[in-house]
Amino acid sequence: MEPSEFLAGYLAEADEHLASATRNLLAVESNLRRGLPSPRPVRELFRSLHTIKGLSAMLGIEPIVAIAHGMEAMLRAADGAGGKLRETALEVLVRGLAAIEQRVRAVGRGETVPAAPADLVTALEDVESPDGAPSAAMVSLGLPPEIASKLSVSEREQLSVGVAAGRRAVRVDFVPSPERAASGLTITTARERVAERGEIVKVVPMSRPAAPDAPGGLAFALIVLTDLDDAAIAAAVGGEAADVQSLAEPRREPSPLPSEEAVVGTRGVVRVEVERLDDALEKLSALVVTRYRIERTVAQLARGAVDVRALTPILQENARQLKELRAAIMRSRMVSARELLERVPLLVRGLSRSTGKAVDLRIDTGSAELDKSVAERVFPAIVHLVRNAVDHALEPTPERERRGKVPAGLLRVTCLEHGSNQLEISVEDDGAGIDREKLARRAGRPLPETNEALLALLTMPGVSTRDEATTTSGRGMGMDIVKRIVVEELGGELTVDTAPGRGTTFTLRIPLTITIVDAFSFRCSSEAFVVPVAGVEEIVEIDPAQIMRAPSGKGRAPVRMIERRGSPMPLIALDTVFRLPRLEMARRKAIVVRRTSQPFAFEVDQMIGQQEVVVRPLEDPLVRTPGVVGSTDLGDGQPTLVLDLVALSAKLSRRKTDARA
Amino acid sequence: MSVLHVLFKVGGAEYVLPYSDVLHMDAYAGATKVPGTPPYVLGITPVRGKVLPVIDLRARFGLEPHAPSPDSRVVVVQTGGRTLALLADSAREVLRLDPTVFRAAPEMVSEGGQGFVKSVAQAGSRLVMLLDLEKVSGEEQFDGE
Repeated sequence: MEPSEFLAGYLAEADEHLASATRNLLAVESNLRRGLPSPRPVRELFRSLHTIKGLSAMLGIEPIVAIAHGMEAMLRAADGAGGKLRETALEVLVRGLAAIEQRVRAVGRGETVPAAPADLVTALEDVESPDGAPSAAMVSLGLPPEIASKLSVSEREQLSVGVAAGRRAVRVDFVPSPERAASGLTITTARERVAERGEIVKVVPMSRPAAPDAPGGLAFALIVLTDLDDAAIAAAVGGEAADVQSLAEPRREPSPLPSEEAVVGTRGVVRVEVERLDDALEKLSALVVTRYRIERTVAQLARGAVDVRALTPILQENARQLKELRAAIMRSRMVSARELLERVPLLVRGLSRSTGKAVDLRIDTGSAELDKSVAERVFPAIVHLVRNAVDHALEPTPERERRGKVPAGLLRVTCLEHGSNQLEISVEDDGAGIDREKLARRAGRPLPETNEALLALLTMPGVSTRDEATTTSGRGMGMDIVKRIVVEELGGELTVDTAPGRGTTFTLRIPLTITIVDAFSFRCSSEAFVVPVAGVEEIVEIDPAQIMRAPSGKGRAPVRMIERRGSPMPLIALDTVFRLPRLEMARRKAIVVRRTSQPFAFEVDQMIGQQEVVVRPLEDPLVRTPGVVGSTDLGDGQPTLVLDLVALSAKLSRRKTDARA
Repeated sequence: MSVLHVLFKVGGAEYVLPYSDVLHMDAYAGATKVPGTPPYVLGITPVRGKVLPVIDLRARFGLEPHAPSPDSRVVVVQTGGRTLALLADSAREVLRLDPTVFRAAPEMVSEGGQGFVKSVAQAGSRLVMLLDLEKVSGEEQFDGE
């Protein structure tokens, strides 16, 4: 393998994770000596190995993948056991880490990487099942060796349990080819279609001699548990029934069903901490960055006259898979408005009991979904508003009756989609309304004449409408917090409407999703900008010698172009477009975006990094401009513009067409 | 009944806005330029947790630009559902003005001022001009080209 930038990146990252793995392994050991579990070190160890495995898989360093995979399975089991590991398991982990380190060094020296030691692999598999004995549901599977060697113990167990439960275990071979890809059948779609017909246990990539029907020299064996027959499965991958091999058939006599736990684990709903989803997103971002490195390396190879054509479709496939993975993770981050409010009835019941007030709670939600992190941030604000409503606004029943109101106080919480990307949550009560005069007196401020002024007063820290503190909401607490959450943290809006004796409505308008996006930050001229990762195809370094200039007609600057995969692509200087002073720079970067089929490269000065940013939309007509979608704060307190380079390229090419016409 | 007004200075002249149009006044903390916006838009600035467009009133009124000083203030106003920051040379006073003291601006003022001045009022020895917020924040189509 040629030492390359990618390899250097791999070594640096692998080193970092090896170091962290060693630290955590030592922590596990010291806890073990004191008879303590190590939930956190085990999890971190798992993450390090997982990353090492992923990185190594990309470089195709199978021995490291195999060892890391075995260790990972062991650690997963330990994590499931609350971070408990046995002495023997620890020994194996220490050996495994040493073996990985040795192999990473070999990669670094450009040597052939030795295969995973057989005894280590066996040891890893042995300690993997907690009591060393095969599980009771185990069914012996007649797996061919080339498949058996690719399956972990847990995957084999998954197959056995599936067969024991009456399903068939089959192997479906899928051979990618340009013809199939043209008809929309790639490994990704094949996988999706098979997944509709059964449970995919594993996808094993297999190399095979290149042939007319398999020009890539690559095939995928999908190991599947299914209830369907061979023909139905074969149809999913567009092949003949012959492409499907049975690995194991269920025994005819009914066998015990898998435990409820197993069913829940595979079919049911799993509650996930936002932190873990964030972690997954972070890992994905690392993957995206690695992908850019691969593409860059391939481009370098291509410039060095290496034939990289075979890599192009693989890279495209990879790009699509990454995009889908991202979408899948983003989907898993969405929660419905109904879920957001599902704890409200319980809260109101408690409040109603502690205040002795009768509350008629009505919850109205549409089908809106919002990002889980937005949901988690906004929920405390909703709790504050609901508390304040029951506690301060709604009158006790006798008082309501005196005023000719229905005995139970109305509390309506609605959560509806508003416009394209906003959620409107309102908390409405039919209580006493806010006493402006009393509030103004208490705050020592002039009487708030407008609702805005009233809100400003209400959200001043420490302002209260109550004489005594209560157990549930204290002394009118929380409105400043509500405002901070809604306006400052989420970039939303908070409004209030109140009428004496008739009630109060607080309305929150918060963005649904794109609030938090993964973005690249970069510098251009004296300014910093960010651009969402999702719109970017790649980031390349511009070699000034490689810039081509095409005449563009009288009086206009020549159109600059750079080569990308054999075809020219327009290179647009962002500083010129934005009329910013151009700085002296030896080497600049280009951010490549694609609009319909035409790629565009935007020339920028330097990349800063990649991070998740909260985007506040720029809505005022004065600052609404093509290519700028909003602003964010990178931590310096000053707004940084969030760009939509695809929209900007659309505007620029329109302008070009206009000029031509 | 007299109404509270906020008074601010731009280029030596004094302007007022009714207190109900003004959310608050703040020191100016600089702005991030937004490409393709009119020259009098300084950019966007963070004000109390919001990010608002800033209009440079000097530039808007066609006066010599000068660098913001420690006296410079953003006057945060609300108009037609929008919230905007106006950069003034200073803003320190509030005045009680009776709505009946406002007179239509002399023709020269309203024409020279592109209609930014709605009316004028004599407050003691001072002449103050009532801004037409809608005009100042004008939505006349502007294309950066």
